[in-house]
Amino acid sequence: MTPLRVGAIFALLCTIAFWQLGDIGQSAIGMAVGPAAIPKAVVALFALITGVYIVSAWRGHQVDESHEPEQSALPGAGLRLVSMFAGGMLFIGGVTWMGFVAPATACGMCVARAFDAPFNAKSAVICTCISTALWVLFAKVLGVGLGPATPFGF
Amino acid sequence: MDAFSALMGGFSNALQPSTLMWGFVGCFLGTLVGVLPGIGPALTIALLLPLTYQVPATGMFVMFAGIYYGAAYGGSTTSILVRTPGEAGSMMTALEGFQMARSGRAGPALATAAIGSFIAGTIGTLALTFFAPLVVDVALTFGPAEYFSLMVLSLVAVTAVLGQSLIRGLLALSLGLLLGMVGIDLQTGQARFTFGHQPWLLDGIAMTTAIVGIFAVGEAAYMAWQGRESKGSDVLKVTGSVMLSKADWKRSWKPWLRGAFYGFPIGAMPAGGSDVPTLLSYYTEKKLSKHPEEFGKGAIEGVAGPEAANNAAAAGVLMPLLTLGIPTSATAAVMLSAFQGYGIQTGPGLFSSNSTLVWTLIASLYIGNVILLVLNLPLVGMWVKLLKIPAPWLWAGIIVVSTLGVYGVSNSLYDVGLLYVFGLLGYLMRRFGFPAPPLIVGLILAPMAEQSMRQALTISMGDWSTFVTRPISASLLSVAVLMMVAPRLYRLWRKAD
Repeated sequence: MTPLRVGAIFALLCTIAFWQLGDIGQSAIGMAVGPAAIPKAVVALFALITGVYIVSAWRGHQVDESHEPEQSALPGAGLRLVSMFAGGMLFIGGVTWMGFVAPATACGMCVARAFDAPFNAKSAVICTCISTALWVLFAKVLGVGLGPATPFGF
Repeated sequence: MDAFSALMGGFSNALQPSTLMWGFVGCFLGTLVGVLPGIGPALTIALLLPLTYQVPATGMFVMFAGIYYGAAYGGSTTSILVRTPGEAGSMMTALEGFQMARSGRAGPALATAAIGSFIAGTIGTLALTFFAPLVVDVALTFGPAEYFSLMVLSLVAVTAVLGQSLIRGLLALSLGLLLGMVGIDLQTGQARFTFGHQPWLLDGIAMTTAIVGIFAVGEAAYMAWQGRESKGSDVLKVTGSVMLSKADWKRSWKPWLRGAFYGFPIGAMPAGGSDVPTLLSYYTEKKLSKHPEEFGKGAIEGVAGPEAANNAAAAGVLMPLLTLGIPTSATAAVMLSAFQGYGIQTGPGLFSSNSTLVWTLIASLYIGNVILLVLNLPLVGMWVKLLKIPAPWLWAGIIVVSTLGVYGVSNSLYDVGLLYVFGLLGYLMRRFGFPAPPLIVGLILAPMAEQSMRQALTISMGDWSTFVTRPISASLLSVAVLMMVAPRLYRLWRKAD
């Protein structure tokens, strides 16, 4: 990833925003400013600054922290990042049919893996304790709706 | 009712056992998050937002205020013992306090930080108590045009002052404004940016999801990507008494007072924050000190002044939030979102419509300062142990709480997915130097600013000059333009010289 590619992501967002502007309906009420006016101004501002950013990145004026000596990533950065986000995906995939604790444990283990903790029994036990304690505190004590802890109810 | 009698009423509520308990919980949590590097008060309050539906408003805001003040206190411990500032306002403390700790004076460094924080926090709260009603009186004369201009000023200030690049700040701000427009337009009922009326987008993007995604998941992703967090840092031992000697008192009291007088007014300005007053305080102390040669090697004034400025700034940030309903920092934006969660209308009307809540909150700040002084110094050993929690389990806990917090609000898996999308955005922003506060403040102020602007135009029958012909509105817009242009002009002028 480079600043120029970040600029490309912003350009893509601009394109999507322009496309969505066309979908905003007109108000039946006569108003000084309709529902699309401000979004149009904001998208125009966003597009303009994206353009400036891309030109600036092209000229090499934009920063990437990974080039700083104290900030650069150690080997295995990509895998750690994937592990981090895989935790969230496992939670999303499992919470509706496995209850809260198992997917939250899997999520915690993936995050711990992203911080170089091995995938092993110790990690599973610690993450189960974390997710169970949090479920008890939030769902049982504070009444936050998290669904059942396990697929068997509880 | 004058400020003093209203404050006394606030004290009688704040000293109720249940309110006191929430205040204590807030101070405890705040110190904890202040001590742990990487977790800030904005994130902690955002994580606790799901609780806002279970706990009475007064208790919840007292707890949030405790977290906010506590984080400012707790940051000093990490700065002094690990040289890792827990939050931005502790940077100068990390510089000088760590040197004191290395030379065996960690105790006095922690003591001057805690006592200075207490004194400056109390001075800041006193200023808030007596100046806030005056600001409210002025703000009550504001119409929609003035409000719109004030919000423009806040947005520009947050963007122009924070971060290293105006382009990146503006890009973050415009993305925040764009995201703030997602959902149903409140005035006409038209759906905007909802990809064909997707039900999960009609209510707009939840503040909690965006904030937790950027600050928690984004920060964790950045730390994981770097891979340095798990290597751990050395924590210095607390050596020396945690009491100040007579000489230390003599060298500390003036910096405490000066720090407080820098912190509050700058903290109360849009985007004033705590970085600028702490820096100003540090350089003032360096200039005024009888021992300038000690700076950089562990001068007690270099800890006392910036820590005092940091805590007074925390009180200052509450001023525009409570009186005008304008957030000038990410933490204030989250607190504003909590007010909205309770259906409480912020702004100058808050002091009349919810005066009990506001004055209980202000009274609890005084009490919180005392609780924090008691929590910080005698329990320093316990806070130090927190720094030894291994990174994998600490971050696993934070991410599970983040996911739980977002899932608990709506039970929507779309929101959890959005949390991780914002996490990815937060990682990219962190890595490529984009400041997060403009995005957050833009997200929260976009619908408010748009509404004020449209109301102003309806009143003026579509005449856009209303924003520049009304004196207060024109002044606010002029200041906003100056903030954008002046630094660049100054730089050009110096180059030409």
